[in-house]
Amino acid sequence: MCQKMEVVLLILSWTILCHKIQAVEILLLPALKHLLLKFSHHQSWIPFKILSCGLPDSMWGRFFRNAELEKMVDQDLTRLYPERGSYFQTSGCQGMLRRILLLWCLRHQEYGYRQGMHELLAPLLYVLHVDVERLSEVRKDYEDHFADKFDGFSYHENDLTYKFEFKKFSEYVGDGSEFEETSVKASSLTELDPVIQTIVLLSDAYGAEGELGIVLSEKFMEHDAYAMFDALMSGAGGVVAMAEFFSPSPYGSSHTGLTPVIEASAAMYHLLSVVDSSLHTHLVELGVEPQYFSLRWLRVLFGREFSLEDLLVIWDEIFARDNKKFNKASDSDAESNSGVLDSPRGAFISAFAVSMILMLRSSLLATENATACLQRLLSFPDDIDLGMLVEKAKSLQALAADAKNSNSLLLHPGLYEGRKLVLSRVHSLPRDSTSPRTPLGVEPESYWEEKWRVLHKEEEHKQGAVEEQGSNIRKRWSERVKLRLSRTESDPSPSKKNQRTQVSKPSSRRSLLEDLARQLGSDDDKENTGCNDVEHRDKVEANGNDVTDKKFSNIPSCVASEENSPNFSDPSSPVHRNGDQGNQSESSSVASNSCIDENEAELGGTNPERPVLRVSDIPDGLASRCTNDDSMGKSASGMKERRSLSGKFNWILKLGRDATEGTSKRPGASKGAKIGNDESGQNNVPDSSSANGCDNSSWTSKGETVDQNLIVSLRNLGHTMLENIQVLESAFEQDRGQMGPQEENGLVGKGQVTAMSALKELRKISNLLSEM
Amino acid sequence: MSYDYLFKYIIIGDTGVGKSCLLLQFTDKRFQPVHDLTIGVEFGARMVTIDGRPIKLQIWDTAGQESFRSITRSYYRGAAGALLVYDITRRETFNHLASWLEDARQHANPNMTILLVGNKSDLAHRRAVSKEEGEQFAKENGLLFLEASARTGQNVEEAFTKTAAKILQKIQEGVFDVSNESSGIKVGYGRAQGPAGGRDGAVAQRGGCCS
Repeated sequence: MCQKMEVVLLILSWTILCHKIQAVEILLLPALKHLLLKFSHHQSWIPFKILSCGLPDSMWGRFFRNAELEKMVDQDLTRLYPERGSYFQTSGCQGMLRRILLLWCLRHQEYGYRQGMHELLAPLLYVLHVDVERLSEVRKDYEDHFADKFDGFSYHENDLTYKFEFKKFSEYVGDGSEFEETSVKASSLTELDPVIQTIVLLSDAYGAEGELGIVLSEKFMEHDAYAMFDALMSGAGGVVAMAEFFSPSPYGSSHTGLTPVIEASAAMYHLLSVVDSSLHTHLVELGVEPQYFSLRWLRVLFGREFSLEDLLVIWDEIFARDNKKFNKASDSDAESNSGVLDSPRGAFISAFAVSMILMLRSSLLATENATACLQRLLSFPDDIDLGMLVEKAKSLQALAADAKNSNSLLLHPGLYEGRKLVLSRVHSLPRDSTSPRTPLGVEPESYWEEKWRVLHKEEEHKQGAVEEQGSNIRKRWSERVKLRLSRTESDPSPSKKNQRTQVSKPSSRRSLLEDLARQLGSDDDKENTGCNDVEHRDKVEANGNDVTDKKFSNIPSCVASEENSPNFSDPSSPVHRNGDQGNQSESSSVASNSCIDENEAELGGTNPERPVLRVSDIPDGLASRCTNDDSMGKSASGMKERRSLSGKFNWILKLGRDATEGTSKRPGASKGAKIGNDESGQNNVPDSSSANGCDNSSWTSKGETVDQNLIVSLRNLGHTMLENIQVLESAFEQDRGQMGPQEENGLVGKGQVTAMSALKELRKISNLLSEM
Repeated sequence: MSYDYLFKYIIIGDTGVGKSCLLLQFTDKRFQPVHDLTIGVEFGARMVTIDGRPIKLQIWDTAGQESFRSITRSYYRGAAGALLVYDITRRETFNHLASWLEDARQHANPNMTILLVGNKSDLAHRRAVSKEEGEQFAKENGLLFLEASARTGQNVEEAFTKTAAKILQKIQEGVFDVSNESSGIKVGYGRAQGPAGGRDGAVAQRGGCCS
């Protein structure tokens, strides 16, 4: 052994001396390589390694670096989907993964190998593998249609460059290539199932495109996987290049100096702040930095958060989106910030991440420290409704794209002040081009008029063609009108409001919308006295809503999902809530006749059926789970209504987004409130007060008719109760989860058991109430 | 659950030395021979009792390969204790300790308690780093030291509790300003040291309702 080593040492020192002589490469026979590696960890080699690494281009330097790389890749590959041993741990798969990764890393030395890359590659290879298997199945059954004899030829045998685990690989490849004679004799291609037909045509080596016609082939699987992986990593000329998320250096032309993953995380948080500012605030206050969890989400493109089957669905959605950079002709100042997610695909990724966070909303709101919060974010439940998640992401995508424009606000902790202002201004914007109370935006008000007109035209154009959209819009519209009217008819009794406050659990957590709520309160008072201007206001507001809705109509799913938002952000149970809507829609459409508006015609046909169906389609368990989750958090903070309000506001807020920049610089929140108050008596465009009031009514107006008042308030009580129970339960659960395994048995005492059973009883009662 | 203190821990060390396995053994009392590699950071929490005092540990288990300063820097923030792990069967993981230590010293609270763990002590036949070397390194750098095995569970519990005991001792000596969150220590319910701030209040409330 020692002798051998001396020989190797000799060779090594010699080659170091003349490392530029290319002929030395001959020495690198596999056997020698093996020997070298075997001893390379011996301590006496360290000086040599240091020496060789000091010469960056030396062959030995490269040799050791590559050996390190191989070792690292191998180590990680053995840990790839260990529980899914079936395919990923087969030698064939491992060999391909290894070669592809090594090759890619060698060709992209600026990135090198980073942990997680293999988990981006594996699903790609898996998809190819599944497709190839399917192909060979079809081939077996419909052999006659496959005239291609090329596949029988194993090209590897003549491939001198092929070195890695050749035998294993060829065995693997060889498995499927012999097909049997027992094939179905179909007389002609056209008689086949269209799916089969496609498969056959796609592998027609002698078709119109010759060999290029072979889209899928076993022997090109590895090549394909490499090409796909490379495209994924480099972004294939697009914006979202996965390799960036592994890069420690700032993104291309970014002036922020942030690494791409941090920049993308910030963009994601920004979107969250737009969609759900209360949750965002909560996370920020706990010190949950987005990259703590989004690093993993982004690097492996959600691969760790979902099962492979679900992941493929998500990836389909992601890759279906264009990866071209956004055209932002309108905003020249934001242009300089070229975000790493600055494409439809990037926007979707961001939107998807945010909808994941929203999915966990209540459980996140229930946490009290960063670690607990992160623990939940990084152990995403595996029983979620993926379809819903994707829908939600789709609905947020447009916002995500828009949010890019205001990226400059990203790290502003004081956003909320400005936001509240915008919030209160949203409804006044479309109409009030000359009002002295809204002179503040960066955008001239005429901009809004113009936008309105454009949107309106689009809308008219669409209306005939897209019935669904129309119904969504109408529903939304009429609902708002309804809510407004009913609120003015029957204002909630103060006692009812008190009840709510009492029921909700007192909390030390601060509520960002407290002053907003105060505004709401004063607004209610005003409403009582100022009913005579209601009609006029309604008319004006109808216009406001109109524009709102039209904006949404550009992203129909957005509307739909907001309607269905109970699952995400509405505190009441989806079923009941939709029941309400169904009941009330008729009267609301009647009521809305009092509004003189060009969209009047639409109102008659209000048909909220679609959204209702959608929600009820959701499996029971899931729906209730979502609501549970949701409500827990809200009442945990004792801010259920306000939070839900804020959720709604955030949607509206988004519409006024573009004006935010200006607003945030201007007067404080108090002034915003003042504006609202000053205005209340005037027969003018409603400002903050009516904007608030409108949404306010969504929870106060449940008792639409006098008869129903009692029942509805009981029902509400039931909901509130249920939510609080869920909070308690989640608190228990949380504690149990955080205890060590030993403590669990010892410390979960009798008291807790009785408390749990009491909770169950309460739950029954609240169920009864809410079912009234 | 009420607790007197809440400590944030961070586990660092080369990739594949068994950081996640140590955590899993500590929190779940089980061993997973092939553990998923950690991307970014993962989390665990457990209660321990030191000197009759309930203490909650929140553990950040970091990725070994993570070398992005901009990201790793923030992992250290507010950590009261750290487990610096190497693999006794892989010499290079021991050789890298110095750079890990430098990282920690650079980004962490200077009072952070660090315990050096020589993991995989069950694989004594493949040992590449002697126990004495480990002890020596720890001594030179003022670290606590243990050899442990995430597989058998040997010394795993001790690694975490020994660190906690040291932190507790430092608190009693007045080294830490426990009201300052950057120390990685939060005072829990039942230990009112001075006026409780907003977040401590929240902790107290929860502790109160469930104990």
